[in-house]
Amino acid sequence: MSKVKHRINFTLNYEEAEHYIEPNVTLLTMLREDFDLTGAKEGCGAGECGACTILFNNKAVNACLVLAVEADRAEIITIEGLSNGQELDELQESFIDNAALQCGYCTPGMIISAKALLNRNSSPTENEIKEAISGNLCRCTGYKKIVEAISSVAKKHRGNSVEGAEKGGEEE
Amino acid sequence: MMKEFDYLKPSTLNGAHNLLVKHKREAYIFNGGTDLIVRMREEITNPNVVIDIKGIENLHEISYKNKECLSVGACVKLSEIPKYKDVTEKYAILTEAIHNIGSIQLRNRATMTGNICNASPLADSATPLLVLDAKIVIYGKEGLKRVLVKDFITGVRKTILETGEIVTAIEIPIYEKPIIGLFQKMSRRKMVDLSTVCGTVARINGEIRVALGAVSPTPVRGVKTEAFLRGKVLTDEVIREAGEIIVTDISPISDIRASKEYRLDMAKLIVKRGLVHIREGQLNWGEQSEA
Repeated sequence: MSKVKHRINFTLNYEEAEHYIEPNVTLLTMLREDFDLTGAKEGCGAGECGACTILFNNKAVNACLVLAVEADRAEIITIEGLSNGQELDELQESFIDNAALQCGYCTPGMIISAKALLNRNSSPTENEIKEAISGNLCRCTGYKKIVEAISSVAKKHRGNSVEGAEKGGEEE
Repeated sequence: MMKEFDYLKPSTLNGAHNLLVKHKREAYIFNGGTDLIVRMREEITNPNVVIDIKGIENLHEISYKNKECLSVGACVKLSEIPKYKDVTEKYAILTEAIHNIGSIQLRNRATMTGNICNASPLADSATPLLVLDAKIVIYGKEGLKRVLVKDFITGVRKTILETGEIVTAIEIPIYEKPIIGLFQKMSRRKMVDLSTVCGTVARINGEIRVALGAVSPTPVRGVKTEAFLRGKVLTDEVIREAGEIIVTDISPISDIRASKEYRLDMAKLIVKRGLVHIREGQLNWGEQSEA
């Protein structure tokens, strides 16, 4: 029985991509080794640490638990897709401003989980933030600064939405 | 690294059935993949053919059918179930259990059907489905058949599924009266962990139903406990006694997560806490209807 390569067409960080891939390769391996997108990391390889978190059709998933062939017709965003050249995403800026990383291994997955949260809820509470990153392990920071970094983005959104609603007299 | 396999993605149920019949034990059904990929990587499961059923459109449906049941298609992601209309209000015990399965990333991929078909003794969605008398809908050579979840799981990672059969949906009866109940999970960490013991205690259609996970080769109903509780008022004494009877319904073992003795104690606690919750819930309902 010959194990054929499959042709897949998908969107990768807002660009069309075509690729040929064997079925026994995970999406994470393909992204890292064939596309040089090494932001997503392989930690546990079993869906427990979240270091490989990416957006798959706008949902946070563990790329280590997806077969690369499943990417056919999907829309994929990795940490590399959040920044525009030197211009960082507001979450990336906030992680730097709040010193929310030490070794950095968990950071891409952490930021993608936070991004998925902000995409569905632009001003989450602290508990919602903690829940959103509960599938992402960090062994350096103790999470405090990570939660603060995400909170500060959420707070900015809340400020904006108050301005947008033209509620006078409410100051942060 | 996974061993090599062929990946097939049929677009019809019959197509998937024919492929399963053709490849027999060489083939594995692939759905959310969160369990199978781990097993393939560890080379515990080494299929020659992987049949992805996510290309079958109607397996992605979730709907209320004929006011009789909630039907959750085999490929509906766990994260989608609580968002469907009124599911969280109607079946809080189930959505609470779902909330306890893995992480957000996992729930965006994994399915309830997969959780049940894996037939783990500690499957978190199993105990609410057991007390709800959920039915597993199976497509096979004679068409569709329905089996109660309690008859579907037969042992550790064993189900009644035969070659060529595919679970298409899980159907949960609609109950007219509100369900008062509690799903509880004991684990080492609050999130992203396997249950040391889990269970659901609920009052459904006027009777108290109990199911526990990780205390027997399969998730089980507390048959003797339920029989004892039938028609009884939930006094402190009745609740205490029910907590003793539950140990005769289960047969826990010692393993990496806990000792047998710990599990017996936790099973008692789950039953007693659940019954107290029901008693308080009934009181609240009474107050509401008087107000």
